[in-house]
Amino acid sequence: MSRIYERLSTCVIEGDSEKAPRLVQNALDQGEAPKDVLDNGLVVGMGEVGARFKRGDMFVPEVLMSADAMQAGLEVLRPLLTATGVEMVGKIVLGTVKGDLHDIGKNLVGMMCEGAGFEVINLGFNVDPEKFIEAIKEQQPNIVGMSALLTTTMRAMWHTIRAIEEAGLREQVKIMVGGAPVDAAFAERIGADGYGSNAPAAVDLAKQLVGAA
Amino acid sequence: MQVRKTNYLVNATPTFEVLTEDEIEAIYFSALTVLYETGVRVYEKEGVELAYSGGAIVEDTTEDSSLVKMPPWMVDKALATLPRKVVLVGPDRKYRMELYKNQIYFGTGSDTPFTLDPYTGERRRATYQDVKNFARLAEALPNIDFHMSLGIVQDTAVGTYDRWQYLAMLEGTNKPINITAVDLEGVRDQLEMAHIRVGGEEEWKKGPIFSLYIEPVSPLSHSKEVVQKLLFACDHDIPSVYTPCPLAGATAPTTLAGTAVQALTESLFGIVLSQLRKPGSSLIIGGLMSNMDMRTTVYCYGSPEMALLSAAYTQVTEWLGVPMYETAGCSDAKLFDEQAAMEAAINIATSALVGGNMIHDVGYLEQGLTSSMEMMVASDEIVDMVKRILRGIPVTDETMALDVMDEVGPGGQYLDHDHTYSRFKTEIWRPKLIDRRNWENWELAGSKTYQERVHERVIEILEAETEPLLDEAMYKELRRVCELADARHKDEELDLEMFM
Repeated sequence: MSRIYERLSTCVIEGDSEKAPRLVQNALDQGEAPKDVLDNGLVVGMGEVGARFKRGDMFVPEVLMSADAMQAGLEVLRPLLTATGVEMVGKIVLGTVKGDLHDIGKNLVGMMCEGAGFEVINLGFNVDPEKFIEAIKEQQPNIVGMSALLTTTMRAMWHTIRAIEEAGLREQVKIMVGGAPVDAAFAERIGADGYGSNAPAAVDLAKQLVGAA
Repeated sequence: MQVRKTNYLVNATPTFEVLTEDEIEAIYFSALTVLYETGVRVYEKEGVELAYSGGAIVEDTTEDSSLVKMPPWMVDKALATLPRKVVLVGPDRKYRMELYKNQIYFGTGSDTPFTLDPYTGERRRATYQDVKNFARLAEALPNIDFHMSLGIVQDTAVGTYDRWQYLAMLEGTNKPINITAVDLEGVRDQLEMAHIRVGGEEEWKKGPIFSLYIEPVSPLSHSKEVVQKLLFACDHDIPSVYTPCPLAGATAPTTLAGTAVQALTESLFGIVLSQLRKPGSSLIIGGLMSNMDMRTTVYCYGSPEMALLSAAYTQVTEWLGVPMYETAGCSDAKLFDEQAAMEAAINIATSALVGGNMIHDVGYLEQGLTSSMEMMVASDEIVDMVKRILRGIPVTDETMALDVMDEVGPGGQYLDHDHTYSRFKTEIWRPKLIDRRNWENWELAGSKTYQERVHERVIEILEAETEPLLDEAMYKELRRVCELADARHKDEELDLEMFM
């Protein structure tokens, strides 16, 4: 049975979103358990993508294609996984904070986290604190990720964390922050749980925060 | 691609071209298509209404924004009233920039969160004193024609730091400044400060002492603050630098031609809106187009693609007759090192050879996140060197010097000839920090590397005694505007201690 897993992980590495769902279905048809298809096929492929990216053998657009392929495969698996009570690595709510329209970096984090097996709820940009709070209540995420590109909008990260505290929700989520003018010292100062200096670092951080690293 | 000479009889300037005229036209007419067919998203109602009343199509209006599409004739109409030349002066009018055609002026970059401490080398958040010191450096360096802060003042309140930043710059330099502003109120306050500095609004009209940096968000989005700033600038005779920062492969097509088209579309929207608001309003467009590094995801400031895009865009704007905001003197290096010098040399040479008008970001390291005094001083010398290349080789009877050659004859020498004596100083460029000594003399002078010599020059400028540029009364009056702004915002929690 390792042949089908090899084909599946190769398909993820090659970023083939059309083939991935078919291969997942093939594996299931051959009687493989959904959890095994995820762990031995899709996750192995994405793991290799991550390793190649770190070595400089793969680049962001290729990683995103692979993440797409993984997602496409996951679409087939998800209902079965849910039915059998298997959980994803974790759930992340992401947004660029109030007043800031810059969202490419945050989207990159989102796509790469999906590639790492997280479920990502992307709230978009110019997200006010109330919207973050609403999302925490509705989605029950493990992690809230916030991004800002401007020093003036970095304030909104602070305000958002405050608002989450005041809503009594701070204990139930980990908060990670990022964006060009943000650094680890600032993250600590505003009471975030971590800072990701770029998208791959954010993925590692997210894994740490949910204890999956 | 070719290097050819233009203006031959005037100044024999070598110029550099990366696009043919057909290619320039293709980029322009494609931008018109994007503005008309794809449209731009505008997050300010007043801007949307103004565009609509001027003939634009408004669609897909949501709670916070609308999609605005402008037919090509709106751009033609706007270009007819857009000034082809913009003049900026310093407060005492000694320094002056005439931005048009291929007049080149170099200046620094603005608003880096971090700076490298000139004494300790530590990378830390920038302060008021840093911004003032950078301005003093700008004042002292002959090839810096205009100034931008090179640091975000982060030891004052976050919501009003822009006023303090402007004050710090006015304390340090009398050169024209390109300001940034937190929001509309920040522009208003800084304009008040500028009026105070020059002695009233009428004096401002004779020559504005700052331009306003306005950055629409790529792709094709114009935020509320951006549109408000633009309209205010039009109303108050402030030249706007309307400059998106598209990132090829991420916030713009990965192909450089596509990035240029998108950037032009973004700026054309600004041009049309400004001329609808007030015909004759001054705009400088540009400015920073580069690629995302697909391994590290950073916005490259030292890449050949940045230099190439800057060059191409300059040709487009010159063809359009719109003053251009270029980018050079910057690098992705973390310190002022070999990489920094190499990247700055390449992008400075490219930008100058192609002839963009307002060339900014001298002094930037680490993708514009960190500023460096060493980088600024070294770039000043690179610009100086490139300016020599720009002077070219005038070819006349006198410069070909056949009579001198005949006089000296085979086997003679030119060192003590009048022709040499009277011309070597203007003909041959002399470096200031570049070292040309032989080994022994270099050793005698302390065996210093270029980095060390540049660093010493930085310290020399910082520690030189200079007369204050603002007298006590003027300083107090300007400071008062900053303090009043702080007082108005004092209820904004958390701001003051956010960074320090």
